[in-house]
Amino acid sequence: MIREALRLPGASAAPAHPPRRLRALLGGEGIAGLLLLLALIALAVFAPLLAPYDPDAFSGRPLERPSAAHRLGTNDVGQDILSELIYGARISLTVAASAAAGTVVLAVLIGGAAGYAGGWLDLALMRLVDMILALPRLPLLILVNALLGAGLGTMILTIALLSWPPTARVIRAQVQSVRQRGYVRMARGFGGGPLYLFARHILPQIAPLIVFGLVTAAGHAVALEAGLAFLGLGDPTAKSWGLMMRYALNLPGLLLTDRWLWWLLPPGVCVTLLVLALALIGIGLESRLDARLKQR
Amino acid sequence: MKRRALGFLVSLWAVLTLNFLLPRLLPGDPLAALLDPNSSAYVFNSTTRASLAAYYGLDRPLAQQYADYLAGALQGDLGQSIRLNQPVGELLRAHLPWTLLLTLTALGAASLLGVLGGAEAAWRRGSAADKALVAASVIASNAPVVFTGMILLIVFGAKLDWLPLAGGRTAFARYDTPWDAARDYAAHLVLPAATLTLALVGSKFLLVRNSMIGVLGEDYMLVARAKGLSTGRLKRHHALRNAIVPFVHHLAAHAGFALTGALFIETLFNYPGMGRLVFESVVARDYPLIQGVFVVVSVLVLSANLLADWLSYRLDPRLREAP
Repeated sequence: MIREALRLPGASAAPAHPPRRLRALLGGEGIAGLLLLLALIALAVFAPLLAPYDPDAFSGRPLERPSAAHRLGTNDVGQDILSELIYGARISLTVAASAAAGTVVLAVLIGGAAGYAGGWLDLALMRLVDMILALPRLPLLILVNALLGAGLGTMILTIALLSWPPTARVIRAQVQSVRQRGYVRMARGFGGGPLYLFARHILPQIAPLIVFGLVTAAGHAVALEAGLAFLGLGDPTAKSWGLMMRYALNLPGLLLTDRWLWWLLPPGVCVTLLVLALALIGIGLESRLDARLKQR
Repeated sequence: MKRRALGFLVSLWAVLTLNFLLPRLLPGDPLAALLDPNSSAYVFNSTTRASLAAYYGLDRPLAQQYADYLAGALQGDLGQSIRLNQPVGELLRAHLPWTLLLTLTALGAASLLGVLGGAEAAWRRGSAADKALVAASVIASNAPVVFTGMILLIVFGAKLDWLPLAGGRTAFARYDTPWDAARDYAAHLVLPAATLTLALVGSKFLLVRNSMIGVLGEDYMLVARAKGLSTGRLKRHHALRNAIVPFVHHLAAHAGFALTGALFIETLFNYPGMGRLVFESVVARDYPLIQGVFVVVSVLVLSANLLADWLSYRLDPRLREAP
């Protein structure tokens, strides 16, 4: 509305177009989420410029209170908490991006194959989907990660392996319906192979589902990583926000002083902001996605 | 319904089989490490080590191990905890009631708030209160439980000092009357249950609000209003009763989420349920105990899902006619 009001009468509408299209795609809440996400990505990318210290260096005495030198004080071994927090964005976003990518690649391959091939393959793959959906995800993740030992790669892989079924299911349904459309059948009649048909005709139709799948999977992955780290299953060499909270809570009597204020609260706020940003984008996409899928 | 019951049995079998196969097939041989004197995970206590060796039976053929394991598991034998040197089954039986108390209290509170709030918000759709509640629900249901729990713990436990900080009851307390005991248990339950309620209430609120909005647009609502029925009767008898069906299904299906949320909350609040058990056994690499928790939580979640299917089948006659 403000943009509308500020625009001069004769000004070209062209520059305003891309933002408006984005708004049509994401809605107000989605744009708010996107901005928040971009801010956190910037934090991760520019971490070396923004962080005052090396997060692993022992840059102060243990458990210092916030001061000009250490804005958020230091942790129990004398590392700067603000620097840890800034570098922590890298870990959480890495987990989010790779787990989401893994989830969606699996979902597209499996959902796409099931929807395209049909028949016994479809039947078998969909039974597998039902089976994995029925298993409780968190206890299984705890078990596998405890057995394999803490590691970021393990965690990403196991999250992806357990998260693909819901997305695969919607992709399968969409592929099934697209496959039956006249232009796709015609392209097949002219000799288009499965890979060509998939890339040229099917992929554009499932692209919105892929984007939505990526965003929701990323949000779940962040929350799962933080949760697992909190339970003591975090990779000690990759200090994520979840792990920072674990270390802070390991300090006896943390809550009885005001130390939690600069040690426990900031990573908690960061995790919440990241999950919320992704959820907002998801909500924005979802409400508009429904309408678009029905339209087609 | 028969298909659902069959699905439950298949999932149950999958859980038990995964629980058997994962520790044996994953790289790194975590079980063999427990019995290997050169490994860091070596179990020094010789009686515990002997009972572990007997339970896992790694020297027997795999098929034999599987048969022994299934027979044992169906009788409730889940091995021996390394850290606590007690049968896993017994430990789980001692901690399960706490987890159930926490989960069911929170599910009850969240349902009550979600249904009442959702119905009211749908009735006044578009009002400032409705918008504020929707926004609050989105935030509350997306914030990690650990974070909301932390805030409640700090504000009500540490700063205001109204409620106990940790545990399920006062340590070494002797109660004069059952009333005193109940009060102590309740005081310890408030914060963990409030945390879990906050995590659960958002999705329930949004669901009831949506289905209520759908019902409010039905023709029979218009007819009922035209008959001159009171607002209260319209809301309760005509709208809410129809809007509640999807909610019942959601409630039982959401039990799994509630249960896993409870695991985190118990860790944070030092509440003596299974989450606490998981946390401590992860630190001590107590595999039999982690496996036991996995099996019990999985069985609970699967049962809740089955219950959800059965309830919606009972409530919605249309499902009975469908194949």
